[in-house]
Amino acid sequence: MTQNYFEIFNVPMQFKIDLNRLQQSYRIIQAEIHPDKFVSASQIEKNESLKKSTEVNDAYQTLKNPIKRARYLIKINLNSEENNSTLPPSFLIQQMEWEEHLESISEQKSELEKFQLLIDGEYQKNLNSLESVCDKDKNWGIAMEMLNEIQFIDKLNSRIIQQINLVESK
Amino acid sequence: MALLQISEPGKSTMPHEHRLAVGIDLGTTNSLIASVISGAVSILEQGNKERLLPSVVHYSSSNPLVGSEAKNLQIKDPTNTISSVKRLIGKNLSDIDTKFYSLDLKDDDGVIGIQTDQGIKNPVEVSSEILKKLKETAEKSLGNELYGAVITVPAYFDDAQRQATKDSAKLAGINVLRLINEPTAAAVAYGLDQNKEGNFVIFDLGGGTFDVSILNLSKGIFEVQATHGDANLGGDDYDQVVFEWLCKSNKINVTDSKIKQKLFALSREIKEALTDKDSIKINEIVNEKINIQCELSQHEFEEITKELTKKTISSTLHALRDAELSVSQIQGVVMVGGSTRMLCIQNAVKEFFKQPLLNNLNPDEVVALGAAQQANILAGNTNDNLLLLDVIPLSLGIETMGEIVERIIPRNSTLPVSLGQEFTTYKDGQTAMIVHVVQGERDLVKDCRSLAKFTLKGIPPLIAGVAKILVTFQVDADGLLSVSAKELSTGIQSKIEVKPSYGLSDEKIKQMLEDSFNLADEDKESRALSEAKTEALQLCEMVENAIKKDSNLLNKKELNLLQKNLIELRKLLDSSDRDNIERTTKLLNDNSQSFAAKRMDRSIHKALTGKSVGSLEI
Repeated sequence: MTQNYFEIFNVPMQFKIDLNRLQQSYRIIQAEIHPDKFVSASQIEKNESLKKSTEVNDAYQTLKNPIKRARYLIKINLNSEENNSTLPPSFLIQQMEWEEHLESISEQKSELEKFQLLIDGEYQKNLNSLESVCDKDKNWGIAMEMLNEIQFIDKLNSRIIQQINLVESK
Repeated sequence: MALLQISEPGKSTMPHEHRLAVGIDLGTTNSLIASVISGAVSILEQGNKERLLPSVVHYSSSNPLVGSEAKNLQIKDPTNTISSVKRLIGKNLSDIDTKFYSLDLKDDDGVIGIQTDQGIKNPVEVSSEILKKLKETAEKSLGNELYGAVITVPAYFDDAQRQATKDSAKLAGINVLRLINEPTAAAVAYGLDQNKEGNFVIFDLGGGTFDVSILNLSKGIFEVQATHGDANLGGDDYDQVVFEWLCKSNKINVTDSKIKQKLFALSREIKEALTDKDSIKINEIVNEKINIQCELSQHEFEEITKELTKKTISSTLHALRDAELSVSQIQGVVMVGGSTRMLCIQNAVKEFFKQPLLNNLNPDEVVALGAAQQANILAGNTNDNLLLLDVIPLSLGIETMGEIVERIIPRNSTLPVSLGQEFTTYKDGQTAMIVHVVQGERDLVKDCRSLAKFTLKGIPPLIAGVAKILVTFQVDADGLLSVSAKELSTGIQSKIEVKPSYGLSDEKIKQMLEDSFNLADEDKESRALSEAKTEALQLCEMVENAIKKDSNLLNKKELNLLQKNLIELRKLLDSSDRDNIERTTKLLNDNSQSFAAKRMDRSIHKALTGKSVGSLEI
C-alpha cells in the first residue's frame, strides 16, 4: 500500500492546507523514524529508517512549497505529468517588461528591493487565484497554465534576491 | 535522593548499561571532548588538567606528540609540527595558498601530503592522531571503553571534508554516532530546547571557519531553516591582517619561517589583548635586526579588519533570506567560537540584529558540550526526546554538456534527502558512462567543487538513447553522499566505481586501517568471525523482538519463514563457520526487510493517530 503525500501527513487532499498542522504531523513522524532514533539498531532498521525518513522529507518539502504542492496535486488528478500548456501572449509581454526592468536596475540595491516587493505581491495574488481554481473549480488544465506563470514569477523573484545578494557582497 | 528512572511503556527494550558516549569538537586551533556524567555535561580534562587540547601534532622519531607538547615545538621545529590541519582536510593542493603554511606541502595522489622527517603524512592521519589522543583522555578519565562519539564539523563543510573527518575517526578506532554541525551543537548546549520557542541565529566564528545557521525550535525539535558561511574565514584571518599590518607599519619583510611563526603568535596576542582593552602598545625585540615598536587601537583594529567582519554580516543576511525571515522575526542570537570574543564582531552583530547577544556559555566549550548531550541521546542513555533536523549546506549537482552544472539536490534541503536522475547513452552499444558530481551554487563546473567521478559499468548494450539509467543520489543524516544506479529497461544494477576528486579512496582507507591494526592473518580471521557473530546475534534479537510485538503484521507463511531462519542462525552462532553465518544472516536480513518497513509504517500511524487533533497543538 503506497500512500500519497497528503495521506502520509493526514491532511486533506487540496491546495489550501493548514501549514501548521502539516508541520506538526511532519515533526511527529520524524520523531518516530529519523535515523537518529536508530543509531544503535540493526542494519535493517537503519536502512528502513533512512529510506522512510528520506521519503517523508521529500513529501514534506513537496507539500510545504505552494508551487510543488500544486504541481503534485495536478499530477495526481490528471494522472500524468505532461505539461503542454503555453504561456498566454499577454503574460509574455509582461514577462519581457519585467526582464528589461531588472536589467536597468541591476546595480541599485534599493530599486531591486522595491522591485522584489512588487514581484512578491504578484506571486501572492496569483497563488490566491490558483487556490480557487484548484479547490473550487477543480479545473486542472487552467491550474497548469497558471502554475507555469507562477513558476516564472517565482524564478524571477529568486533572481532578484540573488542580484541583491551580489550587489551587497561587492 | 536519586530519581528513579522509569521508561515509557512499550518503548523500553532490554535495559542496557550506560554507554560511554562523548562529544568531540575537532577544532582548527583547539579540540575538546565532553561527556554526560550522571546527568550533567562536562568537558573532560586532558592529563595536564587543560580543557583545550591544541590541535597540533608533532612528528618526532618516536610516537607522534599531540597537544601542548607539540605546540611548544612549533617555533623550534615548524616543518615537523602540524597545526590547523582542519584547513587542509578533504582538500587538494590547488585549493590552498601554500605561502601561508610553514609546512612542506605536496600533492600525494590527489590529497595533500605533508612532508615530515617521519615521511609523508596526510591530513586524515594527522586528524586521527588528535582524535586518538581525545579518545585516550575519555577512556582514562571515565575508566571505560568508548562506545561512540558525536563529532562536530562546520556547517559549511562540503562532502569531501565531512567524509575525511569521518575517515579520521575510523582510523582512530572511534565509532561515529553522528557528524553534526557545530552551530547545531551549540544550540543544543544552550538548552534552547527547554523553554524557548521561535527562530534563533547561531553565529559561529572559530579559528578557521565561519558558519551562520538559523534554527526553528519547538518542543525539543530543532529544525535548521538555513545555513550559510565560509569554510575559509576565521580568527586566523584576523591574525593574518594584524601580521600584515605589523610588517607594513614596521617596514619588515619576513621570509624565514621561524620568524614568521613568531610574528604570527605576536599578532594573535595583540588581537586577543584587544578584546578587553581600548588600545595596546607593542614593544618586541624579535631578533637583532627586527625591533617592533608600535601601537594598535581598538578603532584601528576594527578598521583594518572591517572587510572580514563585513563578510560575516553579508553571510548572515544571506542565510536570513534563505530562511525567508527578517531581523524582527529572530528571537535570539547565540555567539559561538573563540573569535566572537572580538569586540568588533560583537558590535557588528548586535547592531545588525538590534538585540543583546546570548553569550553566557564559554564560546570555546559550547560546541563540545552540545555534541556530548546529543551523543548521550543517540547512545540511548536518556529518554530526552530531542530531535535535530539538519540540512545540506551546499547544493549537489552533476556535470552536463558544456560543463554546465545541473542541480540535483538544492542546498538547505532537510537531511536525509535523495533524488533520482535518469541518464541515457550517447552512442550505440555504450556500456559505461561517467557521472561527475560537484558541490556548490555556481552554474559552471569549474566554479564548483568536484566531489567525485562515478563510472557506471555493465550497462546493457543498446541503441543510443534507449538505455535508461536511474542514478540515485542519497545524502544521509551525517550529510554524506552515496550513489547507486540501475538500468531501468532491464533492471540491471550497474556497478559503480567511485573516484573521489578529493580525499581518499575506499581502498586507501582500508589499507590505512589494516596498517594501523597490523594484524596477523589468523587474528584477522578471528576478528572477522567475531564481527559476523555479533552482527548475527544483533539481527536475531531484533527480529525476535519484532515478532513478539508485531507478529500480526505477518501472514503465516512469512512468520514461518522468519522463524525457520531464526532457528537456523541461532544454531550457527555456536559454530565457527563464518561463511555459513554470513550467508544465513543475509538471508534473514533479506526476508525481514519488508517486515521492518511495515513496522515502521505502523509506528508512524500510531504516532499520528495516538495524538488526537487537539493535542497536536505542538
